[in-house]
Amino acid sequence: MPAQLPLALPHRPSLGGSDFLVADANRAAVAWLDAWPDWPSPGLVVWGETGCGKSHLAATWQMRAAAVRLAAQDLAVASVPTLLGAAKAILLEDVDRKPPEPVAWLHLYNLLAERGGHMLLTARAAPARWQIALPDLASRLRALAAVEIAAPDESLVEAVLVKHFADRQMRVPTETVRYIVTRLDRSLGAVARIAADLDAASLAGKRPASIPLAREVLRDAGFAA
Amino acid sequence: MRPQDFGPSLEAQWVRVRARLKGEFGEAAYKSWLKPLTLVGIDDGVARIAVPTRFMQDWVRQHYADRIKTLWRAENKMVRTVEILVQAAAGNQAPAAIPATGTAQRPTASAAARNVYGSANAQANGQAANRATSSPQAANAAAQTALQTAMIGRTQDDVESFGAPLDPRFTFETFVQGKSNEFAAAAARRVADEGKVPFNPLFLYGGVGLGKTHLMHAMAWHIRKRNPQRRVVYLSAEKFMYQFIRAMRFKDTMSFKEQFRSVDVLLVDDVQFISGKDATQEEFFHTFNALVDQNKQIVLSADKSPADLEGLEDRVRSRLGWGLVADIHPTTYELRLGILQSKAEKLGTPMPPKVLEFLAHKIVANVRELEGALNRIVAHSTLVGRPIGLESAQEVLHDLLRASDRRVTIEEIQKKVAEHFAIRLADMHSPRRARQVARPRQVAMYLAKQLTSRSLPEIGRKFGGRDHTTVMHAVRKIDELRAADAAFSEDVELLRRMLEA
Repeated sequence: MPAQLPLALPHRPSLGGSDFLVADANRAAVAWLDAWPDWPSPGLVVWGETGCGKSHLAATWQMRAAAVRLAAQDLAVASVPTLLGAAKAILLEDVDRKPPEPVAWLHLYNLLAERGGHMLLTARAAPARWQIALPDLASRLRALAAVEIAAPDESLVEAVLVKHFADRQMRVPTETVRYIVTRLDRSLGAVARIAADLDAASLAGKRPASIPLAREVLRDAGFAA
Repeated sequence: MRPQDFGPSLEAQWVRVRARLKGEFGEAAYKSWLKPLTLVGIDDGVARIAVPTRFMQDWVRQHYADRIKTLWRAENKMVRTVEILVQAAAGNQAPAAIPATGTAQRPTASAAARNVYGSANAQANGQAANRATSSPQAANAAAQTALQTAMIGRTQDDVESFGAPLDPRFTFETFVQGKSNEFAAAAARRVADEGKVPFNPLFLYGGVGLGKTHLMHAMAWHIRKRNPQRRVVYLSAEKFMYQFIRAMRFKDTMSFKEQFRSVDVLLVDDVQFISGKDATQEEFFHTFNALVDQNKQIVLSADKSPADLEGLEDRVRSRLGWGLVADIHPTTYELRLGILQSKAEKLGTPMPPKVLEFLAHKIVANVRELEGALNRIVAHSTLVGRPIGLESAQEVLHDLLRASDRRVTIEEIQKKVAEHFAIRLADMHSPRRARQVARPRQVAMYLAKQLTSRSLPEIGRKFGGRDHTTVMHAVRKIDELRAADAAFSEDVELLRRMLEA
């Protein structure tokens, strides 16, 4: 008999600002975002490795600032004024991996700065590391306030793991949680993945989220068990 | 109400205001809406203008009142605001005539205040004006406060709406001069001080973030302050382009031309961005020639000298170089330090000289990044409530200062720690338990846990296939030792810094 295929019931991750877990790794970034609109520059860069929680924070800010989210591929020199409209806050995500066209980006920056607006940029690496061929833009971006979200410490990994389980309405014993935490890379991306995998495996095999199941899931995901 | 002072000079001013309106809005609009305006008088800073119907009153208020106000202000400094009245009411000053001081100016005032970039005070006033709009009196009062908070010349921005607002931080007073920028600064002062046009155009060029925009804003502020009648327009080349594209789309290039050709001083920043844009370049060239012919001052900036600008037609290139070409060189250490000191003073945050020297030494690319770095340090200290020190500054700017963010690997940690304690690298993996190798190995595990995002089992494997509980034990052990032994703790800290550098 084939293993039961779990339905991809979309669990709803809560993205509310108060729901975000503040820890040492992201405390500075949260403080910077809270300080909006009193930023010392026309923008803020929040950077950190995959799964550090950038998008979650960005979405929270977007809501509060009523910011317009722009997609890099839509930005062209001619479309900048239209895309910007009357907005005073802009969100651009993942700009080091998917950078907008530089001249359009520069014009967007200038028009926004001129009206006293702000842009929030998220990226994997710090602005000083971005490959920007246009010097005018590069220097503006490097002058922006920038804050890193560090790799989460163990207590944050644990807290986020528990939150993921709760979001998925899973009951996972404390010892299983501890077992996973000590074996996982310190990345919230890894946490999200393991929570999803464990959920799926538990549903498919109709097995409780026990240590033996966690061991299998970790091993399948490539973590030393 | 006092009888109106309606002398010949006031009449002459009104004629000039009307002529400007005609020039700006064109014959058709002038005929329909502006020709029927009659001046009732000026009293207590309020210019009262009458129109025949209530509908016209609404229309003129919405579309022209701002413009009229600013043109009046340019003619007559006593005028603070403009009231549009319906004729009958204007005659007997009936209370039915609702003062027109409201709607037209209110958003302008708050917008102007909010535009004072970086000024929390003005921002608060802008919000106050917004909140208070439910009550006209309160709104007016708030708008007045906001206007007063906004700097001199600010109000001119609404008439020169096709230009960009000026940054109040960019004045001659805040421009720190050194060898690398003194020629450009002297040329800028000369142009701003002269009533006549000393050289046309003034062309400023230099690398990014060296103060071209600062000088241009400073000139515009200075000219406006000295002579509010002169129409000074500052904008970036790309904004010129966007407005031109817009004008073409709406088939309104005539008013675009009129707009730009009626200014007294035109400052266009970053002209390199119109290179290769043929239609925009052509239009810019016409504007340029028209203004030069009228003996109006033009100031341009670019990242290169006219001769080196690519994508420009030769005739354009050669005309750009006709006036005075002044370049700004990269900063020296002394200038950077001077800029930092001046900026820190303005921020009002106590800043250890060591930190400023460090920044002036380390951040050499340009002034924009230098100021950006200073802003980050100050804001971070405010956010986390810690005083500014050399170490915290380095911490905050680590992404700028370090050559790369490449994470340190477990192998590098093992190598460094082995060197430091003078043991063999192989001892990191060996089963030997002698204290002189076991302790360094624990330190290496501890650092691997701190500096990488590897999991405990992963770390254990890299140390000769040890169990993750061994790693946990090592981390606990080193934590204990660090708490008990300050010298040991410093040793570990030193290793951490060497690995992170």
